[in-house]
Amino acid sequence: MTAASAEEGDGRGRVALAVSGLSVSYGNVVAVHDATFQVAEGDACAITGPNGNGKSSILMGITGMVRRRGAVEIFGAPAPNGDVRWAARKGLTLVPERRQLYPDLSATDNIILGCYSWTRSMGKARRSDSFGRAVDLFPELKPHLKQAAGTLSGGQQQMVAIARGLAADPKILAVDEPCLGLAETVARRVYDVLARIHDSGTTLIVVEEAPKRALTLCNRRVEVRNGVASGVAGAA
Amino acid sequence: MKFGNLVIAGLVTGSIYAVFAVCVAVWYRVSNILNLAVGDFAMVGALGVDNLYRVKGLPLWAAIVTTLAVVGVFSYLYDQVVLRIALDGRRQMEGIVVTFFFTFALSFFIDGVAKMLFGTDVHAAPALWNGASLSWGSLHLERAGLLVLVCAVIIGGAFWVYIRYTLGGKAMEASGENAIGARIAGIDTRRYRRLIFVGTAVIAAIFGIVESPITGYTYLSGATISLTGFLAAAYGGFRKPGRALVAGLAIGVLEALLGGYVSAEYGDTVLYAILAALVLAWPRGLGFESAVTQ
Repeated sequence: MTAASAEEGDGRGRVALAVSGLSVSYGNVVAVHDATFQVAEGDACAITGPNGNGKSSILMGITGMVRRRGAVEIFGAPAPNGDVRWAARKGLTLVPERRQLYPDLSATDNIILGCYSWTRSMGKARRSDSFGRAVDLFPELKPHLKQAAGTLSGGQQQMVAIARGLAADPKILAVDEPCLGLAETVARRVYDVLARIHDSGTTLIVVEEAPKRALTLCNRRVEVRNGVASGVAGAA
Repeated sequence: MKFGNLVIAGLVTGSIYAVFAVCVAVWYRVSNILNLAVGDFAMVGALGVDNLYRVKGLPLWAAIVTTLAVVGVFSYLYDQVVLRIALDGRRQMEGIVVTFFFTFALSFFIDGVAKMLFGTDVHAAPALWNGASLSWGSLHLERAGLLVLVCAVIIGGAFWVYIRYTLGGKAMEASGENAIGARIAGIDTRRYRRLIFVGTAVIAAIFGIVESPITGYTYLSGATISLTGFLAAAYGGFRKPGRALVAGLAIGVLEALLGGYVSAEYGDTVLYAILAALVLAWPRGLGFESAVTQ
């Protein structure tokens, strides 16, 4: 909400996401307290910090998955509280922790449901660039597209989750713990893909417990401790 | 041609089971709740039309439209008030209470109201297609039976196309599979729960109207219909409408054959014994294991 926000984001572009005074609580437990930070368009921003300190809750609050206090602006437009669809239409899409796929549906169906935020037509979704690009980004998924998502390996499921996020045609992709429980080689592959998504112009927000891996990719970092966020600029 | 006629009669009965099984399975797929009141909506359809047409003297079309509108509005309000408080409120309920209790209670409630409004006698909506039964050689099919079959094919086919080929159908499935994952994709899971609940209630009512001239309904008929639909849906693991449909048809045919060849009196007993034995012998193939683990 602050007027000075545009300068803080590296001076590279307009502010993609502005968060001010964000708090998230579950009952009496405060998970995030008064977080304020900005992400400029084209940035790759890491949100780091120990587990259980409220990193995921920040993403949940921003995308509207949980109720929040405080203001969130996506490309300058104030986001209504708790409206995931609005955020997705404005260009902010979440790839959630533990992937949250639909286990009995095929990988293709999982991915194509990412298009639901902008269309109700199966034909339009199938022919869309965003769906095509999302599938093409993961050639290793090709032989498994008809398989039920619940039967895929952890790495494949993560790729399906990212592809579903891309099918929504996001300008800002928020990825929560993309490498949780993955083997090192698979984790590296996931980060390769995230780098390619970033290179194509999508703004990235990555929540990572391990800052080391995140900072190979990210040029900005928000550190979260005990639910309090502090921006660390130019951490690349 | 006793066999042929028994199969035809079985297919008609089976298509009734199949439609209710599909209604149970589709709503379970989206909400993870078993709709034990689905048969009661059929009963309200049949007895409501009968009451408005025969007793109140409304034209048949007006009786049908009014009855369906009442069922639609009532099921909408039930979702908006009861299910919303139970499932979407601050203190969300979980477990067996949600899976069974609310629709079970609804079933008793509807039965009670129906007893007051329609009495305890057997009634039926007037036949929509009058005339002698249709015959091919020695095979016979009542017109009402053909109507039931046609309705079943249309309803089953519509659900199949919806789930298989539309993004809305996929979103509906996703709502039941993973509510959090569905919300992330921007899917309004409550809307689908409401849509399918109201939709299946109205479908059940239509089916009651079409089918009641064959069997006749009392205010207690709903529970039996729900139970058979429930049983057939169980053979599809409650989650596979296609399998539920086939199971419903198979149960109908089996029932007719047992009634015709074994014993009219004990046919049902033998049927349920066979069904139980099938579950014990082949639980995974019938979807029972997944029904438990999910």
